[in-house]
Amino acid sequence: MSLLGSLVRKVRRSRRVKLTLLLAPPLAFLAIWFYAPFIITGLYSLDMITRAREIVFTPSLKYYERILGWRSGLTIMLRSLYFGALTTAICLLISYPLAYYISFKVKKHKDVLIVLFIIPFWVSFLLRTYAFMTLLDERSFINNILLSLGLIQQPLQLLYTDVAVITVMVYDYMLFMVLPLYANLEKLDKSLLEASSTLGAGPVSTFFRVTLPLSMPGILAGSLLVFIPAVGEFVVPALVGGPNNFMIGNLIYQIFLGARHWWIGSALSILFIAMILVLAIIYLKKVGSVGPSF
Amino acid sequence: MKKTNLFLMIFTVFVFIFLYAPMVIMVIFSFNEAKSLGVFTAFSLKWYEKIFTNTEVWVALYNSVWVGAVVTAVSIVLGMMMALAVTRFSFVGKPILDALILIPIIIPEITEALSLLVMYVFLNIPLGPLTVIIGHAAFDVAFVTVVLRARMAGYDRTVEEAARTLGANELQTFFRITLPVMYPAILAAGLLAFTLSFDDLIKTLFTTGPGFKTLPLIVWSSAARGGVSPDLNALSTFAISISLLFAVFRIRAEKKMRGV
Repeated sequence: MSLLGSLVRKVRRSRRVKLTLLLAPPLAFLAIWFYAPFIITGLYSLDMITRAREIVFTPSLKYYERILGWRSGLTIMLRSLYFGALTTAICLLISYPLAYYISFKVKKHKDVLIVLFIIPFWVSFLLRTYAFMTLLDERSFINNILLSLGLIQQPLQLLYTDVAVITVMVYDYMLFMVLPLYANLEKLDKSLLEASSTLGAGPVSTFFRVTLPLSMPGILAGSLLVFIPAVGEFVVPALVGGPNNFMIGNLIYQIFLGARHWWIGSALSILFIAMILVLAIIYLKKVGSVGPSF
Repeated sequence: MKKTNLFLMIFTVFVFIFLYAPMVIMVIFSFNEAKSLGVFTAFSLKWYEKIFTNTEVWVALYNSVWVGAVVTAVSIVLGMMMALAVTRFSFVGKPILDALILIPIIIPEITEALSLLVMYVFLNIPLGPLTVIIGHAAFDVAFVTVVLRARMAGYDRTVEEAARTLGANELQTFFRITLPVMYPAILAAGLLAFTLSFDDLIKTLFTTGPGFKTLPLIVWSSAARGGVSPDLNALSTFAISISLLFAVFRIRAEKKMRGV
């Protein structure tokens, strides 16, 4: 018995050694290069690092207080939330009919259509944004056609407006809405829809009382997957927006690299991360997975 | 009912036009003879000539490729270790580890990039290729772990047990059974890591040192400075074709992976 006991202990110990050997390098790497930077940012936000880069142990919340009393900063934060929400809503309005059509109405070559939908998203975010800039530009092809048809008298100035920022964000993030919606509609038990119509419901009431409620998980998943990155968007407002369309990502950038006020910038980053993590926890609680891969 | 279907079909067609039009028009105008972005005059390769004779473009492409390769190697090794630990061992604190892996995927890149920059400056680490590589790898590891772990969860270990029974030691089993069986998944995860690094703008923008540029940085700085231009159209078309090529490789690897 004692021999067996010592053998079991030995195996257990060797497993623990192996586990440590496997986990230590990646965890150390993440701890140093991913998590430590946030700790330093946190220290800055609490005024625990001085200009001479020395750590002092007298935390203070003054920078957080300053942010909360800062009018134009709050305006930009609210604008980010508004832009994020608007992008999400428009994505949903465009994506739902699309996913619904492909899932319910297309009989043949569904997979082909989905792949055709995904292909544009294989191109990087930056290049997709740039491609859209070529359409929004004053001298663009679209403006030329509209001018020559006499529909407009002067070229439309679309670049550097709110409309441009929202449109390009919808263009860039639509994938995150369509994929969970489509996956959800595909899994939906279609016999429930038949039951509904057999029991006398018309197509409209079947949609609003059966299909739509059953696709809520997909709607929620897609909305959070679009909203979370959209609120923190930096590239799109920087390229197609002007100073009046800046979002929180641009503000943080300005404070860090323009004003070089690392304390305020850090406090703002920490507040923003806290907000994103709350949203992510809601997502994981309600949806329970990382989301679609692409 | 018929009307609704017709409406949905037309709507879907419009969405597809919306998705493809910007890129198609950009590609077409990259072959335009005139500098105009609105009128196509004649077919010409002169903008391509302009970018391909620019050494800055070639240096940036070279930088993007080798940074991507190093990032991929580092992320694969570390991600593989993490995935093996999570799928083959049970230990307390696994949910915490799961969260630690998920957070890099969720957190907005701009806050991560700026925090990393703050730490580099705080610790007096000189900015350059190495700081860019570290920045890319710090979050690519998480993506690789997620991909590999998903595949390992359904992995049949009886082959490994057979190898052990037949006298192979643990390392032999790993290198001659586990790795070859996992190869398609590793390839898929590696191509994902490479793509993430190759396309990355924000992390590179904040962690690079003077003079070290990648392809996205060149596109970014000329788009931010001068807006739309025909040579930038040509450069973007070139970059898009590289992206699409890698995507095709990745999809093929993923298909193979599902076959395992």
